[in-house]
Amino acid sequence: MRKIDLNGLDVSVYKEKLSNNLDIYLVPYSNKKNYYISYATYYGSDILEFSTDKGNYSPPLGIAHFLEHKMFDEENGEDPFHFFSNTGTDSNASTSYDNTQYICYGNKNFKENLRYLIQFVNHPYFTEESVTKEKGIIAEEIAMYQDMPDFVLEMTLRNCLFKNSSRKYDIAGSVSSIEKITKDDLYLCYNHFYVPNHMFLLIVGNFSIDTALEIIHEELDSKREVELPKIIKKNEPNKVSKKEMNIVGNIEKSKLAFGLKIHSKEIEVKNNELDYYLNMLTTILFGASSLFRERVREANLISEFHTYWESFDSFKIFYLMASTRDNSLLLEEILKEIKDCSIDEESFERIKKVWIANEVKMMDTIEGCVDILYDDILKYRKVIPNKINCIRNLKFSVLKQIINQIDFTNYSVVKMEKNVKND
Amino acid sequence: MEIINKDLGSFHLHFIKTDKFKTITIKVMFHSPINKKEITKRNLLIDILLQSSLHYPSRRELSIKAEEMYSLDIYTNNQRLGNYMVTSISLDVLNDKYTEEGNMEKAISFFSELLFQVDSSNSSFRKEKFELVKKNAEMALSSIKEDPSNYALIRMYEEFDKNSKVSYRMTGYLEDLESITEENLYTSYLDMIHKDLVDIFVVGDFDNKEMLSLIKSNFKFKMVKKDKGPYELEELKIRRNISMKREETDNTQSRLVIACPFKKLTEKEKNYVLPLANMILGGGCESRLFQEAREEYSLCYSIHSFARRLDHMIIITAGLDKDNYPKMKSIIENILGDLKKGKITDRELEVAKQAYYSSLEETEESSSRTILECFYEELLNIPNVEERRLGVEKITRQDISRFFKKVKIDTIFLLEGGAE
Repeated sequence: MRKIDLNGLDVSVYKEKLSNNLDIYLVPYSNKKNYYISYATYYGSDILEFSTDKGNYSPPLGIAHFLEHKMFDEENGEDPFHFFSNTGTDSNASTSYDNTQYICYGNKNFKENLRYLIQFVNHPYFTEESVTKEKGIIAEEIAMYQDMPDFVLEMTLRNCLFKNSSRKYDIAGSVSSIEKITKDDLYLCYNHFYVPNHMFLLIVGNFSIDTALEIIHEELDSKREVELPKIIKKNEPNKVSKKEMNIVGNIEKSKLAFGLKIHSKEIEVKNNELDYYLNMLTTILFGASSLFRERVREANLISEFHTYWESFDSFKIFYLMASTRDNSLLLEEILKEIKDCSIDEESFERIKKVWIANEVKMMDTIEGCVDILYDDILKYRKVIPNKINCIRNLKFSVLKQIINQIDFTNYSVVKMEKNVKND
Repeated sequence: MEIINKDLGSFHLHFIKTDKFKTITIKVMFHSPINKKEITKRNLLIDILLQSSLHYPSRRELSIKAEEMYSLDIYTNNQRLGNYMVTSISLDVLNDKYTEEGNMEKAISFFSELLFQVDSSNSSFRKEKFELVKKNAEMALSSIKEDPSNYALIRMYEEFDKNSKVSYRMTGYLEDLESITEENLYTSYLDMIHKDLVDIFVVGDFDNKEMLSLIKSNFKFKMVKKDKGPYELEELKIRRNISMKREETDNTQSRLVIACPFKKLTEKEKNYVLPLANMILGGGCESRLFQEAREEYSLCYSIHSFARRLDHMIIITAGLDKDNYPKMKSIIENILGDLKKGKITDRELEVAKQAYYSSLEETEESSSRTILECFYEELLNIPNVEERRLGVEKITRQDISRFFKKVKIDTIFLLEGGAE
């Protein structure tokens, strides 16, 4: 076991790799009452097609999410939620593009809960009958999301940005795609992707390392490593698929979604550092203290606004979502900002402070710590011990170089206007 | 954790000392008896206070200053708690241990400037700032339908009783916006500072003496104010027959909201039975509503209930296909009927108790929960965590069934989506 100190944060991660290549991350906190356990697979809705020695498979869209729902069925009829709630423990699961995780969160019964979480994720039990029943529930979930204008906006933007990538599809699939899912599809995906060499376990909070390891070894040592199928991915072009789209929605004020597609292969900066620089850039350009925000505020242009980055394969995608009184004016402001890309060193140094402070604050709660570490494990397949120093040492000149290598014209825009039928 | 409460005449100070957090949180809470006409104005006020101040004439300059002090955070909230409107303004700043000596002191003085040295002249806020926040409010108020679950909830309250305080929209009212001016907003600001009851909460790892002197020198509230009556609403008027209202939308999914008011609860029922009863009914994945409506009949994706103690009601909400409404209604009625009859298993009661104990343990894990707990105990006279744990332990299935005999479905609101 290796102890990794997260410098400047008063937190240490204990990392263990089992002989079957399952990664274990343990982060004990002495001043908290709760613990959070996440047992996760790197399997999500990104995997559309794969091949094994028995052939090629492309299961229906939404299967990873469907599988997550069905993992809560047990052969003995017990409901995992029941088990956890007996001791007031919360449990949940979520599916994303690049992972599916099963979590429990509580302050009692650590040993039994950890054991149970591992056991239920390791023992799938699917029947045709329960698969059929689940389709109604997931169809309602899909309907719920389709009523959310922000969700529709984002999905439309994804369809503009990507031609072939899995990132253009809803993680939950569609009502018609999930209709085709069978129990055999579920077993197929489970058996190939819920394997120790494709999974990890993260525990943060109030627990003893020895206790955790004892249970982990008992429950997981015997699980066999399995050769991963070959993932088949269609080549995603560097250019956006569609430049602009106009849609209508059940909204009162207009909404704008802007996405910048960057192919990072050409940029010569280490992957995690590149993420920091890119984030730094958009915080300076669009963050709370930016000139852009001041301009649009004074012009009363936006009411809601948020930005985020997505990183996968060799792409870095910047998303900007806003509610606005005028889509065209706002777009003009955004384009002006990225065209000028005027940044100064003073802001650069100040934003470093913001980031360092945010890292410290996040590490102050169990959930925040889980968010940071989970994200790092997914992105880099490791934790980053010297993040604070790394941020401190970022160089203004490097950011300038990166800016020169980005093609700022490679963006897509979706404008959503009020559905006039509503009046 | 150590709690010190002090009455400083013009405000109550609450120190909550704990080494659990790397931040210091200061929350200034203003309370006044709620007045429907003041809600929109108060929302505008807390917005304008964060736009600029005497020394920082723009939001950008405020942001830059906040970032320089290691990204301190200032945030506001305006809500109704029973008979009161409670407005709070909070500061989160990293403990000097993680930044530099003197950072916290500077942060507190910056925070105080936002409250006491506002950007005004001649008893009026600055016109251009005022127009800005007014337009923001107008945009927000014209789009309340965009969040169907919240909109359905607001509409249900109004159908329940449009004159009752439970129906007040805390988002504010578009029609009230017109009459607000930069002058009367400033008067409203002075009222808040001088007339509202004030509580200040400080959470974190700090030196008592040093903090007391910082608070005294930075928060100079002058007027001594008197208690203004109970938080808990007077008993609600409950209908003899259920009132059912529908409204159509273009959404795919329908939203169902049901008001289940209750009457004449004992103190024991308010403190110990209500939270358990709500958990059994619709408090999570283990609840009756979730297990039957979602798991057994696949009628919906989401369903839950929540209790509003000060408003005397439990509210049930669900997202469903409109064709499933009749079945959903009868399932909910059956569940409430069963609970009344005492059809509750020992396991259900035990699960609810365990969930409740866990949530009690949570109270000290975040600074906002810690403050909320202190507020409940000090201002609402709710028993403390240990007393609640002991009280809940003794609750029986009979107590739960007796409670449900006092609960009745009163108003049903269905925000109806399309048939597809």
